Amino acid sequence: MLERVIEIIEEKLGLDDVTITKETSFKDDLGVDSLDLFELVMGLEEEFNVEIPSEELEKLTTVGAVVEYLESKK
Amino acid sequence: MKTRITQLLGIEYPIIQGGMAWVAEHNLAAAVSNAGGLGLIGAASAPPEIVREEIRKCRELTDKPFGVNVMLLNPNAEEVAKVVIEEGVKVVTTGAGSPAKFMDAWKEAGVKVIPVVASVAMAKMMERAGADAVVAEGMESGGHIGSITTMALLPQVVDAVSIPVIGAGGIGDSRGFAAAYMLGAEAVQVGTRFVVASESIVHENYKDKLVKSSDIDSEVTGMSTGHPVRSIRNKMTREYLRLEKEGADFMELEQLTLGSLRKAVIDGDVVNGTVMAGQIAGLIKKKESCKEIVEDIVLNGEKLLKNGGRF
Repeated sequence: MLERVIEIIEEKLGLDDVTITKETSFKDDLGVDSLDLFELVMGLEEEFNVEIPSEELEKLTTVGAVVEYLESKK
Repeated sequence: MKTRITQLLGIEYPIIQGGMAWVAEHNLAAAVSNAGGLGLIGAASAPPEIVREEIRKCRELTDKPFGVNVMLLNPNAEEVAKVVIEEGVKVVTTGAGSPAKFMDAWKEAGVKVIPVVASVAMAKMMERAGADAVVAEGMESGGHIGSITTMALLPQVVDAVSIPVIGAGGIGDSRGFAAAYMLGAEAVQVGTRFVVASESIVHENYKDKLVKSSDIDSEVTGMSTGHPVRSIRNKMTREYLRLEKEGADFMELEQLTLGSLRKAVIDGDVVNGTVMAGQIAGLIKKKESCKEIVEDIVLNGEKLLKNGGRF
């Protein structure tokens, strides 16, 4: 799961020279803005066939939080 | 001209006035609604009771539909969302984020919800959350902006959603209206041209600054903070850009812009204040009534569309 999530982040945000881990923060480490975030959520939803309500977005600040959220919805 | 937007909102012409902070108050909103478009009151960071007052004053001036723009980053957004329902407002546009958490309450009260979006993914999410339409706003617009131009954004959003799309950003006359329509929009949102309207309470210095400005006078500040803002260049933008270049921190930059829009719009200080305006400001050469503006844009726009783009 983590690996696939990281791949999607890299692909959607055009990041090919950054090391991403569970602890990586979208805002502080990757400089993700709100448009990037929407882009990312759409990508994750398509890949994992889940719906991430936009009110949940505020809580998903790190890569690890996203993975946890997706696992809880499996 | 009838579109899904004129039907949805119960208006005569498919044109909406932007919900500009400080500028979009009851006099302007009522004048645009009386002219057959949809006027908006920009709640921006105003306290909820002020918004309530603005809505009531607007209703005294028009019996046509009008709306409120709710700025979601406003710490009072939740209360403003309630005021809108209590006062029976039927249209809300939203900026700066996702209105998902207010959607149920608004829908239940029969409020039409129209989020402003700056990307395809955001438009899709808003449609899924229950939005009635979206405003796709390109980075030509004034104030807080996204990063995609209207020409590129509009057709991509139109293809991605099935709800009607309102085009915004860089639209200031009938040609812009017709172009937006060709790109798939079913209405336009116009901001900058209404700033100089005779009914607008904006300080004459601000209006004069817009009328005198040229195509290259608009400048974007705040790229480094992640909240870019477009305004007409002046001492204020030069100082901001200098600080930004020197790597000033967020707080220092914030300090510079604190209250600066009010300073320009209300006090008329167009040197130290922020003169927000879109790239189309250079096209605006005279101050007219809202009726003249609405009819020039829509009626001449229709003519253009009928004549294949020629007058």
